[in-house]
Amino acid sequence: MKRFTRMIYKNPDEMVFGKAKFPVSQRWNIQIGAGYVLPEIKVAPVEGSEESKEKMVSECRNITQSACERAVAVGLPAFMLEQEHIFQQTNNPEWTAECTQIQAETLEKYHDEYDIKVSLRATPADIRLEERSPGLRGSDYDNKVMESVEASAANGASDVAIETIGGKSVSDYGIARGDPKAILFGIGVLGSIDMEYMWKRIVDVCKKYDCRPAGDTDCAQANTAMFMAGGLLDKDCSHTLAALARAMAAARSLVAVECGAIGPLKDCGYENPIIKAISGVPIATEGKNAVCAHSDLMGNLTAAVTDVWSNESVYHRQEMGGTTPEVWLQATGYEAALMNTALQTGQEKVLRDLYTLTDKYRDPQALVLAYDNAYRIGEAIVKYGNDPYLRSRAAALESGAIINEAVEAKKMYLTRFERDSLDSALKIFEGLPTESDQFIDECLRKYSRKVAEFDPKSYEL
Amino acid sequence: MSYEELENKMDQTFLAVRYNVEIEGAAIKPEEDLDVVNIIPTEEPFRAIALAVLYEDREASLANVEKALANDISPIDIINNGLMKGMDAVSLLYTKGFYFLPDLMLAGDGMMEGVKECEKVLGHKSETKGTIVSFVAEGDPHDIGKNLVVMFLRAGGYEAIDMGRDVPTVDVVKAIKEYNPIFVTGTALMTTTMTVFPKVVEALQKEGLEVPAIGCGGGAVRKDFVESFPMSVYGVEAYHAPKLADAIVKDKKTWKDLRKEYADIVGEFVSEYS
Repeated sequence: MKRFTRMIYKNPDEMVFGKAKFPVSQRWNIQIGAGYVLPEIKVAPVEGSEESKEKMVSECRNITQSACERAVAVGLPAFMLEQEHIFQQTNNPEWTAECTQIQAETLEKYHDEYDIKVSLRATPADIRLEERSPGLRGSDYDNKVMESVEASAANGASDVAIETIGGKSVSDYGIARGDPKAILFGIGVLGSIDMEYMWKRIVDVCKKYDCRPAGDTDCAQANTAMFMAGGLLDKDCSHTLAALARAMAAARSLVAVECGAIGPLKDCGYENPIIKAISGVPIATEGKNAVCAHSDLMGNLTAAVTDVWSNESVYHRQEMGGTTPEVWLQATGYEAALMNTALQTGQEKVLRDLYTLTDKYRDPQALVLAYDNAYRIGEAIVKYGNDPYLRSRAAALESGAIINEAVEAKKMYLTRFERDSLDSALKIFEGLPTESDQFIDECLRKYSRKVAEFDPKSYEL
Repeated sequence: MSYEELENKMDQTFLAVRYNVEIEGAAIKPEEDLDVVNIIPTEEPFRAIALAVLYEDREASLANVEKALANDISPIDIINNGLMKGMDAVSLLYTKGFYFLPDLMLAGDGMMEGVKECEKVLGHKSETKGTIVSFVAEGDPHDIGKNLVVMFLRAGGYEAIDMGRDVPTVDVVKAIKEYNPIFVTGTALMTTTMTVFPKVVEALQKEGLEVPAIGCGGGAVRKDFVESFPMSVYGVEAYHAPKLADAIVKDKKTWKDLRKEYADIVGEFVSEYS
């Protein structure tokens, strides 16, 4: 596996929405990162649909058809539909097969009839449980995940993405206790090891079919920190520590690309701008049109260098403006249209900068993901590109430096909690071993004892 | 205009205000907070024990407890008048916004170390306010919400039986039979796993069992769904769990009462119950 030790983008100003260094082509005449932004719609199946395969298949068909109807009703030139699997789908690969098939058939029908460009993303759930023997590797759940990946690829998915959970037991411990070392170990080391295990296999499966291996997201870890950090008045996780976790997540999620994923990287990977800067692959992101799913502090900024603009997730139900697949595809569709207008008229860099500046200093988590800062973090990662631990540590230190510079420039203001946790984390990171083996040994001793669910065997440690 | 020029032209506060910074008061020592003063005991060794918990100092907490036990101080008194008082103060500072979750977790670790030492002398587990069973719905691997609930319950003086994640409904029912809990908490992240909650209720009803309330919460869980079946109450925040449990234990509130009086019981504005 070849690691990234150089930046594909030569400077941050090269990065813009709708264009990637390495665009991706998929079936149904769609290109991603090739000069236009694609809206994405994702809808959570309604409660009760999990009771039988027939109900689930019907639910998937209805969601798909609703999205297609609204797409042609409002004249969208292209869109992506994502199906994030529920547990029962992944645990029953025959469900995956039939659901994917009905979605693919529905999308193809609209593509044939209207020539609309469509894309179907399948995201099997990572249902593995570390604490249940034999752990993350070789369990029935592990096998079901891979069977579900194959069922998706074989039955019409344009691409496959996933949100793997390696290292989560330790990073959760670290996030809840404000322990930066545990977060670094959980995301940067354990997460990266597990990503390699999962993604080599996913890429091999996708190669057998007309299905692209897309990418992973650190939803299980960095998003846990972000959600717990919450709004400005929440009290569960320091926003500076969440920003550092996000930077480390980029070093971890990059592993999918190093294993052969080609993008677009999955929407809830807020670390994606950093990975785009490093690798040149197209990315999906989410922000203000994902408020139906959750709140973040960077609703515009995340659009700055996106290639697929997503709503993240929404209940499948009716709103005043229609069903949610209709309403939220329209919302992401209009935002994509704004970006595409900017691209057509040569104003894309202006819009990119405005998107960025609306949120850049709203929160440290936004600051480190502004495209210029994302690029800096990318540079820190590739400098130590061959070592997952060192590059994660470098990402964290660089993001800390970015925050501190903004504080000194009186552009970013921190609470005592944010200030103290940043100072403490940076001090800890600076004092860590410069040898990966030593760091891993220390962490194995400490966290094997403290975190009941953590099983080093799941990482071959 | 370049990015830098645009940025320099802007007044950041016109766009976004960091209200958390704006409202921050002066730094004070935690034991000087006026409400904490009324909680922390004044007599030793209880004051030192409580302060070690308040300062999240696990080693000092353990050392203080060991010293007190060596001086023949009653382990029950150490728990109730020292360790728990420290934890009560920590919980209060969390509620007031001065302390944060990591403070609560680390203080809780210190308190639990001390309690274990006391239990060694007692020869049995110390008394708690009551037993609570906590589980993550079958098919759902997302457990951080449950972990927080368990931590808040233990910090609040309850024995929380942590059943883990992806827990089969039959196992939940079995645990309820075994522990006869005063409260049950269930968490789920997804729309399609929250459907386990009514199945738990149905299984309990089939066996003629009842619990005062099952608190159901998590990512995609909705109040209207939770209120569509009996015995349940929609839980909004993890830290509400011990307050709901207190209402059950102290005021004999039922799930019906909890639904009606949720915001009053947790003592704050709760959008979902407004």
